Amino acid sequence: MSNNSNKWFSLNFSTEKKEATGSCGCGKESGGCGSHTKNIEVEKQKDGFDQVFDVKMSRRTAFKQLTASLMIGAGAVSSSCSVIAGDETKEKAQIDWEEQFKGNYKLMSKEEQKETVSRLVRSYQLRTGKTISMSSKNSEKDVLFGYAFNISKCQGYMDCVSACVKENNQDRNSQMEYIRIHEMKDGKGFNFNEADDNYYHEVPAEGHFYMGTQCFHCDNPPCVDVCPVQATWREEDGLVVIDYDWCIGCRYCMAACPYDGRRFNWSKPEVPEEEVNKNQHYLGNRMRKKGVMEKCTFCIQRSRAGKNPACVEACPTGARIFGNLLDPNSTIRWVLENKKVFRLKEDLGTEPKFWYFMD
Amino acid sequence: MINNYKILQILGCLLLLAVVISSCKKHENEYHTIMDKIEAESKNYHGTSISSEIHIGDLKTIEITEGDQTFLIPERKSQIKSYACTECHTKPLDQMQNTTAGKRAHWDIKLNHANEKVMNCISCHDGNNMDNLKSLTGSTIDFNNSYNLCSQCHSKQFEDWKGGAHGKVIASWAPPRASLACVNCHNPHKPHFETRWPARFNTQKVKERE
Amino acid sequence: MRRRLKVFWSLVKDSVDITTHGSKKYHIWMAISTFIMLVGMYCYSIQLEHGLSVTGMSDQVSWGLYISNFTFLVGVAAAAVMLVMPTYVLKDIDFKQAVLIGEGLAVAALIMCLAFVTADMGGPSVLWHMIPGIGVFNFPSSMLAWDVLVLNGYLFLNISIPFYILFRHYQGKKANPKIYVPGALLSVFWAVGIHLVTAFLYQGLQARPFWNNALLGPRFLASAFAAGPALIILILAIIRTNTAFKIEDRTIKKIALVVTVAAQINLIMLISELFKEFYAPTHHSQSAYYLFFGLDGKTALLPWIWTAISLNVLATATLTIHKFRNNFKILYVACFMLFVAIWIEKGFGLIVPGFIPGPYG
Repeated sequence: MSNNSNKWFSLNFSTEKKEATGSCGCGKESGGCGSHTKNIEVEKQKDGFDQVFDVKMSRRTAFKQLTASLMIGAGAVSSSCSVIAGDETKEKAQIDWEEQFKGNYKLMSKEEQKETVSRLVRSYQLRTGKTISMSSKNSEKDVLFGYAFNISKCQGYMDCVSACVKENNQDRNSQMEYIRIHEMKDGKGFNFNEADDNYYHEVPAEGHFYMGTQCFHCDNPPCVDVCPVQATWREEDGLVVIDYDWCIGCRYCMAACPYDGRRFNWSKPEVPEEEVNKNQHYLGNRMRKKGVMEKCTFCIQRSRAGKNPACVEACPTGARIFGNLLDPNSTIRWVLENKKVFRLKEDLGTEPKFWYFMD
Repeated sequence: MINNYKILQILGCLLLLAVVISSCKKHENEYHTIMDKIEAESKNYHGTSISSEIHIGDLKTIEITEGDQTFLIPERKSQIKSYACTECHTKPLDQMQNTTAGKRAHWDIKLNHANEKVMNCISCHDGNNMDNLKSLTGSTIDFNNSYNLCSQCHSKQFEDWKGGAHGKVIASWAPPRASLACVNCHNPHKPHFETRWPARFNTQKVKERE
Repeated sequence: MRRRLKVFWSLVKDSVDITTHGSKKYHIWMAISTFIMLVGMYCYSIQLEHGLSVTGMSDQVSWGLYISNFTFLVGVAAAAVMLVMPTYVLKDIDFKQAVLIGEGLAVAALIMCLAFVTADMGGPSVLWHMIPGIGVFNFPSSMLAWDVLVLNGYLFLNISIPFYILFRHYQGKKANPKIYVPGALLSVFWAVGIHLVTAFLYQGLQARPFWNNALLGPRFLASAFAAGPALIILILAIIRTNTAFKIEDRTIKKIALVVTVAAQINLIMLISELFKEFYAPTHHSQSAYYLFFGLDGKTALLPWIWTAISLNVLATATLTIHKFRNNFKILYVACFMLFVAIWIEKGFGLIVPGFIPGPYG
């Protein structure tokens, strides 16, 4: 029995059990055997699969599934307390440990927020040797961001989509794009059913018009209401943000969003090193991990510093308008007051802060 | 038995009540619509500390006031390579036109704006005052304020541009606003935009939709 | 206290003893189950390694088989109450034998539900974020938070009450009704609660018109009370034929009556839903169109749903006829058909069309 318990922790089932006892296996070899012995006995019967299980068994453990974070923690603690491991590994382990158990960003004090930002910056430095700058800037007073989209101007160039992907460090493998540009036929109105959002021909195409959608940063966001851990919330300046480290990946918010605003990292997001945007914000374009949600943040790292979001900046036709809704002299207020604006799916009561208009 | 029943009932009712009352917390946001919120919260608007200055950087701008809008536009004259025209052209236009000797200047500018019945070179340029533009009635328009010329025909776009619905804002949403002028996007001699290919094509989406 | 601990320990030892000894058939059955579990664990490790992309889910359809099975199994768990209520409330002695099995089924189904949900999470190692106190628990705003509460509460109830009874019987003592009856009564209401809350998870999303209708909650209850007891009948049948545990014919007949009525109500609700979607179709009916007739040539779900509907109708019709329902062989077949039909229709026949078409068609 003792070598069984050793085996369990070292997870090396391959060699020891080759000596089959020849019996049908599941008999009473040693009374009161627990479930793990049963597993081993089962393998003795399934000889044909031993080949497959030999290799993979060492990776696969029920323990890993059940105590994943504790293992990391234990490893971190052991390596950070170890005399042998190098200083960098220790520091990295320490950072990982602290990051795993930190709280919800929304509830952190300013100092805690700064601390987590500096941990993340240091962790990136340790991993890749490069430095990034991450901000934890909160919302300014008297600022409420709004957005307007001029349908007559959009020609379908998709410069906004490109700029957004580059600015926000989105996963290149799955070609994640926060913005969708829909090409619709003239004369049929807003027929989303027949719209094409993945066209590739010269634009603007004859007889079609274009309009773009992304997260609309609703003022009554359904995604915020349904998150079981409050990993997403609406900030004071109106931006709906996500704390990537707090998200558990249940995707309830994605089911709740009526505008297809949210994206999920189905696998590990990867960005080529030279394309990583190093000006980051904790709630914005910092590197995410797999299994968490992300979405358009109106480029929080830019807009809180006073700049326009990447899509607004990139659009060559000036179809995108962004500004402070509370400033009576802003362009966005002028648009709302002087142009015939509308929003999508108004009847759902979500109060999006993204208006559409035409010339 | 009966006692347990009653206790259970009372407990159940209390629990229900507690849950219902606590769930009314949902409607914390005091405004019914976003327009209500904007109206209410912009009453005490004093301006923000964020300014666009740092983002405009060293782009040369001038401030214009048209109607009730005041904003910055890029300074134009310093950006035109061959300005000022009179540095080279000392003779007025009608004297230049009849000579056979000498190069024909601006021979490569083809005017493709409306049609020849509506526009030609001197619709905008003044042969006797080459450093400036002229309006329909002959008054002078400075090159920096060339938008005044465009607005003669394109008055609707002018109104939109003043307000911020037409054209592009430079770099920042914060005041003071800096907008691109007409000529920063539209070439006045050939304003038409050609078609082009989109910036990207999402092959992953195609795969997912198979 | 020490005495109780000793009894508990001996209970554990005896239970392990019983579960590891048995006939050859039993051992083969356990071996097959364990093998399937091991395959499952291996697959889960792949998912942990590579992320949820290996499941084939995408941004368009972000909930798939995991959540479908979760939804269905919550219903099965809730249906255990169908045995508890007659036993303790109506004091119908016929059900008493089957009660503990029903509770056991509820526990098993609930554990499966929690396992499915955990497997579906993108970040299972951070699930502690949900624990109130050390994490943030978005109650009462998020229906998922409600669901976590009620499911775990139901699990606790259904483990503690039967365990108490078992513990007492193991010692040869009688269980005190003053202790277990209130718990049993509570679990009756709680069972209705868990399934309504799970239904509200979907019903509350104004973004998905396929789910956002008033009938979803009652529909869930009806289909749960049809599928759950159907499974119980099948399990009782297996227990009857393979063990010495005695179950009266009367018990099975009464449960069958419950299944029949629930199945009939379920069909009526289905007809109501079909009428609403197809009589005056709006663009909100696109999801129903996709499910039943396919959209733009995408007909992948058609064979599934039509099989489900036909099995459902056939099973309900069969059960309605007294002669067939009282003939146990036909009863078992009908129950099996009904279970499969509801599994399809309430599982991925409900979840997947909710996402198709997406918010923009």
